[in-house]
Amino acid sequence: MKRTMAFAKRNLIEVFRDPLSWIFCIAFPIVMLIIMSIVNSAIPKEAGNTLFRIDNLAGGIAIFGQMFIMLFTAIAVAKDRSGAFLTRLYSSPMKSGDFVWGYILPMLLTAVIQVIVSLVAAVVISLISDYSLSIAGLLLAVVAVIPSALMFSSIGFLFGTFFNEKAAPGLCSIIISLGAMIGGIWFDVEGVGGFMYKLGRCLPFLYATKLARAAITLNFGVKEFLLPLGVVVFAAIVLTVLAGIVFNSRMRADQR
Amino acid sequence: MGYAIRTENLIKRYKDKTAVAGLTLTVNEGELIALLGVNGAGKTTTVKMLTCLTKPTEGRAEIMGCDVVKDSENVKRLVGVSPQDTSVAENLTVKENLEFMADICLPKEKSAAAVEKTIKAFSLEEFKDKKAKLLSGGYKRKLSIAMAIIGDPKVLFLDEPTLGLDVLARRQLWREIEALKKNMTIILTTHYMEEAQALADRIVIMNEGKVMAIGTLEELENMTGRKGLEDVFISIAEKTA
Ligand SMILES: Nc1ncnc2c1ncn2[C@@H]1O[C@H](COP(=O)(O)OP(=O)(O)OP(=O)(O)O)[C@@H](O)[C@H]1O
Ligand SMILES: [Mg+2]
Repeated sequence: MKRTMAFAKRNLIEVFRDPLSWIFCIAFPIVMLIIMSIVNSAIPKEAGNTLFRIDNLAGGIAIFGQMFIMLFTAIAVAKDRSGAFLTRLYSSPMKSGDFVWGYILPMLLTAVIQVIVSLVAAVVISLISDYSLSIAGLLLAVVAVIPSALMFSSIGFLFGTFFNEKAAPGLCSIIISLGAMIGGIWFDVEGVGGFMYKLGRCLPFLYATKLARAAITLNFGVKEFLLPLGVVVFAAIVLTVLAGIVFNSRMRADQR
Repeated sequence: MGYAIRTENLIKRYKDKTAVAGLTLTVNEGELIALLGVNGAGKTTTVKMLTCLTKPTEGRAEIMGCDVVKDSENVKRLVGVSPQDTSVAENLTVKENLEFMADICLPKEKSAAAVEKTIKAFSLEEFKDKKAKLLSGGYKRKLSIAMAIIGDPKVLFLDEPTLGLDVLARRQLWREIEALKKNMTIILTTHYMEEAQALADRIVIMNEGKVMAIGTLEELENMTGRKGLEDVFISIAEKTA
């Protein structure tokens, strides 16, 4: 525990001192929120597209932002693995659990800050656009997106463990584009249907988006809230455990 | 006094290369051993096996009675390593780097005092709030060594500690190592003969993964009939080349 916290502190400092993490994890979601709200105001009411209305948009952006948390986790792990610093820690009393949580905890904290900042921005937009958001929904959303934050950090951790500093970010960008599409962030996959929807239903991203949106609108339906919550929590647990196993075996392989 | 390190026919084979070919060695507690050998002799590989960074292919090694493979958890608590490649967290300040290592190696209540003490011992006061990546190569190296020592290890491994240090910094580090000698067993690898001569109780000369000679400087001089470590080393290294 003490070692996990010491390592988490180090990684948190690394994240906070990197201006790129501020730009991508905090500023970028706000910018997207503003841009898409402007787009929304240009969509005629008759079109019946509510995807970019602030209540839907805020949930989508919350998940979109977490995808960058994934990218930053991957970069942090891959970068450390390429240097001598991590090797030195292998001969210290640190265990693989200390490494996994040491990387993931600071990212979860970043994710919480991110979602709070994004939702505050969403409130401002909702006031301007005269569409009211439920405060209870927003507060619930802050908590409801924590499982998906864990899921995305674990995916990033896995990418960082498997791939090097050059390959990991590229692969994460693929997940970001793909996840945003089939996750239903930028368009209504369920409405579009077809292959995209089928694929989306097999992966956790769509559920993460649905869950965030349902939390914001306080929609506790089984299909809207409970099922997505179950899927995301399950995915988060599986991926985090997997991250631990994979890191452990990598650590061993490095010692061969 | 017991043995700090004991190895028996320690072997490390890579795919097409035997890096260490049967190392048998005992080091007493409190001793300072200098490990000499030409490039590729197997010094770093030996250090890595003894610090759980790589597994021996064959043979056994114990640190303070703990097996490096079966009891690696305890070995990791006993050893400190300053790797051949300088390794520090670049975005952390000098003080943060030391705090981090102290936090993972020491009980909480000892950590702050150890940081202060180490900063002083390594004359890092001036740089303590500077990010590691902004330090000169030599100071980064000093920090890397300080990070190995801060956990108060029983056995300390210094892989080419003075590489890249200027003459004054090297002399100062020698004094720091001298001071540590009282409290811990030290294995130091080096390419500088005068360094081994100045610091070591015993000298081990390796070549192609094997120990060619071991003893005090005097013993090695008598063995080879040469004077001074440099000549002793050359005569041993050339004989096997
Ligand atoms: N991971 C590895 N895979 C394959 N061969 C290796 C590996 N690590 C070391 N070797 C080989 O083992 C031999 C011993 O290397 P080692 O690094 O122990 O030498 P050294 O005595 O520390 O040399 P130097 O003085 O240059 O640091 C070398 O021939 C090296 O190429
Ligand atoms: Mg070496």
